[in-house]
Amino acid sequence: MSRIVKRAAAIAIAAATAAQAQAEDIKVGLLLPFSGVYAALGEEIEAGFRLGLDSFGADSGATFEILREDSEASPPVGLAKTRKLIMQDRVDVMAGVVSSGVLAAIRDVVDGAKVPLIVANAGNDEATGKACSPYITRISFSNAQLNRPMGKYLVDHGVTKVVTFAPDYAAGQQMMKAFGDAFVAAGGEIVAQEFTPFQKTQDFGPYLAKAKTSGAQAVYAFYAGSEAIAFVKQYDSFGMKEALPLYGPGFLNSQLYVGAQGAAAQGIVTALHYVPTIDNAANKAFVAAFTAQAGHLPSEYAVQGYDAARALVEAVKSGATDRESLAAALPRTSFDGPRGKTAIDPATNNIMQPIYVYDTVAGPDGPTQKVLAQLPVEVDPVNGCEMATLN
Amino acid sequence: MQGDLGFWVLQGLNALQLSMLLFLLSVGLTVIFGLMHFVNLAHGALYAFGAYAAATAGAALGFWGGLLIAPLAVAALGVLLYLGCIRRMRRAGPMAQVLVTFGLIFVMLDLTRIVWGAQALSAPVPAVLDGRVAVLGVEYPAYRLFVIALGLAIWGALALVLNRTQIGAMIRAGVDNDQMAACMGIDVERMFFVVFCVGCALAGLAGAVAAPILSVTPDMGLQILVPTLIVIVIGGLGSLNGAVAGSLIYGAVQTFGAVLFPQLASILIYGLLAAVLILRPAGLFPARG
Amino acid sequence: MFRHTALRFWTLGLVAAAAVLRVLTAEYFGLELVAEIAILAILVIALDMVAGFGGMVSLCHGALMGAGAYGYAMLTVKAGLAPPAAFAGAVAITGAAAWAIGAVCGRSQGIYFIMATLAFGQMAYSIVFEQPAFGGDDGMSGVPRIDLSLIGVDLNDPRSFAFFCLLLLGGVYWFATHVLQAGLGRTLTGIMHNEQRMRALGVNVWRIKADMFGLSGMIAAVAGALAAQHVMFVSPGLLNWTVSGEALVVVILGGLGTIIGPVIGAIAFVMLKHEISAHTDYWHLFVGVILIAVVMSRANGIFGWVEQRLSRARKVTAGDAIDAQGRTDAAGTRARDDA
Repeated sequence: MSRIVKRAAAIAIAAATAAQAQAEDIKVGLLLPFSGVYAALGEEIEAGFRLGLDSFGADSGATFEILREDSEASPPVGLAKTRKLIMQDRVDVMAGVVSSGVLAAIRDVVDGAKVPLIVANAGNDEATGKACSPYITRISFSNAQLNRPMGKYLVDHGVTKVVTFAPDYAAGQQMMKAFGDAFVAAGGEIVAQEFTPFQKTQDFGPYLAKAKTSGAQAVYAFYAGSEAIAFVKQYDSFGMKEALPLYGPGFLNSQLYVGAQGAAAQGIVTALHYVPTIDNAANKAFVAAFTAQAGHLPSEYAVQGYDAARALVEAVKSGATDRESLAAALPRTSFDGPRGKTAIDPATNNIMQPIYVYDTVAGPDGPTQKVLAQLPVEVDPVNGCEMATLN
Repeated sequence: MQGDLGFWVLQGLNALQLSMLLFLLSVGLTVIFGLMHFVNLAHGALYAFGAYAAATAGAALGFWGGLLIAPLAVAALGVLLYLGCIRRMRRAGPMAQVLVTFGLIFVMLDLTRIVWGAQALSAPVPAVLDGRVAVLGVEYPAYRLFVIALGLAIWGALALVLNRTQIGAMIRAGVDNDQMAACMGIDVERMFFVVFCVGCALAGLAGAVAAPILSVTPDMGLQILVPTLIVIVIGGLGSLNGAVAGSLIYGAVQTFGAVLFPQLASILIYGLLAAVLILRPAGLFPARG
Repeated sequence: MFRHTALRFWTLGLVAAAAVLRVLTAEYFGLELVAEIAILAILVIALDMVAGFGGMVSLCHGALMGAGAYGYAMLTVKAGLAPPAAFAGAVAITGAAAWAIGAVCGRSQGIYFIMATLAFGQMAYSIVFEQPAFGGDDGMSGVPRIDLSLIGVDLNDPRSFAFFCLLLLGGVYWFATHVLQAGLGRTLTGIMHNEQRMRALGVNVWRIKADMFGLSGMIAAVAGALAAQHVMFVSPGLLNWTVSGEALVVVILGGLGTIIGPVIGAIAFVMLKHEISAHTDYWHLFVGVILIAVVMSRANGIFGWVEQRLSRARKVTAGDAIDAQGRTDAAGTRARDDA
C-alpha cells in the first residue's frame, strides 16, 4: 500500500473522530472532599469547575457529564471512589483531589488504568517528581513552587534571619525545605524551625513565645484552613507582628480566611499563584462571574477548579475524545487565564505559572490583597521524574 | 532560654490558659458522670455549638452578647437532648449511652455544617481585652488572662456551691449514693436535669471563650473531645477536684512538652494516662473514696 | 454462651449463599462492596467476641485493625518480608499488643474500660500519625496483595480478592464460634454475668479476659491486613477512635452477642452508607439518626429483633427459643447492672 493511501486513511480517521467529537459526551469524575476537614475547599473547587465548564464548555461542541464523588479527604475512601469512577462509571477523565495523601493513594490506579487526571489542588512535590505520570497533569501548584521564590524575595528586601513555622506533615516539610534552600542560597539564615503537630494543635501560644526570643528578624510560616486562622490571630494577639513581620505562602491569609482573620491579617506579606485582585481582563471576568454565582470572591481553590475545567475544554477542542487522546492533549494545554499565562511543563506535567507577592491591606469590605510583585514563571526541577511516553 | 524566668512565666500562663479551657469543658462532663453515671461523648459537639452560637450572636451583639447567649443556647439544646433521649438512656448502661452520644456527634457535626457551612468562622476579641498586659515582666495577651480568670472564678463558684450550700450537699449525696439520696427526699431526677443543663451551659461557655482564640469549625468538638476525656480519666470520673487536677496536669504536660520535647509531646500525655490507668484505675481523685 | 440455634444456622447459610452468588455475578463495584463488607464483618466479629460475650466494650478495635494493617504494610514494604509471612507477623504482633491491653484494662469495669481502651487506641493513633517511620499523615502506598499464583489465583483480580475475603470471613466465623463454645468462651461469659462468683470458683479472671482480648485482637488484625491489601495503601485514619465507634455501631445494629448478627449489621451498614452517600454529602447525619433510633429502640439490633419476634411468635419451649430470648434479656440485665 502506498504511503499516500495510508495518509489518506489517517486523514479520514482523523476527520471521523473530529466529527464524532462534535456530539461527544465526556464523562468527568470529580473527586473532591465534600465532608471532613477539607469540605470547604471541595465546595470551592467544585464551584470553580462548574463555572469553568459553563463558561467555556459550549465552545468545544462536546457535552460534559460530571460524576461527583466525596473523597472525605481520606486515602482509602478516595481510592475506593477512584476505582468506582474508573471501573464502574467508566469516566473519560478525572479531576479534583485536594489532599496529597489521596493523590499518593490513587496515583498507581490512575496510572495503571491509563485514565487522565487533572489535579486541582494537592501540591505534593513528588506527584510531579519521582511519582510523576503521563496521565497526571497538575493545574494547581506544587509546594516548592510557591515557597522557593520567597527565599530570594526576603533577602532582596533586607530580611536575612528568620524562624519558620509549619505543621508537621509532608506538605509543611516540603514548603519549608523549598523556602529554606532558596533563602540560604540567597544568603539568609534560618535561626530556628518549628514543626507543630498537624491537626492536633490550634493553640500556638507555646511555640510563638519561643520564636520571640530567637533573635530573628521575621517569621516565615505555612498553615492552611482553620489552623491558618488560629495562627494569624494568635500571632497578632501576642504582639509579634510589630517585632517580627510575618511572611509565608499565601495559604496563610488566603481570600477564604481573611474575613475570619480580620485586622490580624493586615501587613502579612505572602506569595501565591492567585489572588482575586490580580489585574487582568480574564481575572476581572472570572471574579465577576464567580461572585455573581457563589456570593463571595473566588479563592485560589476556585481558580484551580476553574482552570481545571478550562484545560479539559481546551483538550477537547484540540480533538481529544477519550481517555487516551485526553491524556495526550491535557499536558499541551496553555492559556491566558485569571492567573496570567499558564502552561504545563512537559518534563513533569506540573503547571508553570507566575507567582504573586502581595500585602494584605484594609479594604472597604474587610481585608484585601495588594499585589506587590509578579514574580516570573520559574520551572520546577524535575525531582527525579522520568516521564514515560504515552503509547 | 530555659533558664530565663520570663520563659517559665510565659509558658506557665499558656499552660494555665489551656488548663482553664479544658476545665470548663471537663467539669460539666465529670459532674454529669458523677451524678448520673452517664458519659456524654457529644459534650465536644456542645462546645462547638457554643462557639458557633457565640460567633453568630457576637456578630450582631458584640463579644459580651455572644458570651452571654452561647451558654444559654447550649443549655437550651441540652434541655432538648435531655428530654429527647438522655432521660430515656439513663438506665441503659454505658455502651448504649456511648453509642447514642456517638451518634449525636455525627448528627450535630452535619447540622452545624448545614446551618453554618463548612467554612471556618471566627469571633473577634472584645476591644477592652484586645491588648497585652505585663505580668512579672512578660507581655501577655489580655484576652488569655481573661480566660484564666474566668476559669478560676468558675472553679471557685462551683467549689463554693458544692461544698457550702444545701444544693451542693444534695449533689454530693447524689454522687455518693443516688438511691439513698432519693430516700432522703431529694428529687434526684430534677437535680440531674439541672446539673445536666449547667454542664451544657459550661460547655457552651467554653466554646464561646475559645472562639476568639481558635477558629470556629464543625470538627472543633471532635478535636477537643479526646483531651477532655483524658482530663477526666486522669482526674477521676465524677470529681470536681479531679477535673481541676486533670486539667492542670494536661495543660502543663501539653504546653511544656510541646516546647521542651516537641517530638514527644503527645506520647507523653498518653504515657501519663497509661501510667494512671495501671497504677490508679479510678483516677487520681476518685469521686467515691 | 454462644449457641448455634436453627435460626442462626439458616441465616449463616443464607448469607453465605447470597455472598457467593454475589461474587460470581457482580460487576466491578459490587465486588468491591463484597470485599468491604467482608473486612468490616471480620472486624465486628472480633468486637462482638469481647463485647457481646465478655462485656468488654472496646473503643480500640479500630486501632487494633490499624495495627494489623500497618504491621502488614511495614513488614512487606519496609522489611521486605513475603506477604504470607507478613500477614502472620502482623496478626501475631497485634495479638500480643491486644493481650497486653486486655490485661491492663481488664481490671476496669463498664465506662472505665471503655475510656481505658479509648486511651490506648488513641495512643497508637498518635504514634502512627507522628512518627515519620510510619509515613506520617500521608500514609504508605504500594502495599502488595498475597501472591497465590502457585494455585493459579490472581488476587489482583477483584473477583478473586472478594472471594478470598469471604473465605477468610468464613474461617474467622468458624474460629470465633469455636472459641466461644470452648472453655475460654464459656468462662468469659460466666465472668460477664457474675465476676465475683467466677473469682470465688478460682478462675483467673484477668487472664481469661486478656486471652480473649488477645484472640479478638488477632482477628481484628486479620481484618486490618486484608484492608491494607484491599486498598493497597495504609493511612493513620484507620486507627482513629471513630473507626472503633463505627464498628461498635455495626455490632449494635446487627445484634450484640450473636456473631451472625454483626455480620448482617456489616452488610446493612455498608449498603446503607453507599445508598445514602450517593444522594447527599450529609450522610453522617442519617447514619447518626439511624444509630440513635436503633440503640434507643432497645431491641438487640436487626438480628436480635428477628430472634425475639420469632421466639415470641412460636411460643414454644424449645431450647433454641429460650436461649435466644434469654440472650436478649441477659444483654438487657447486664446493661442495667453496669449502670
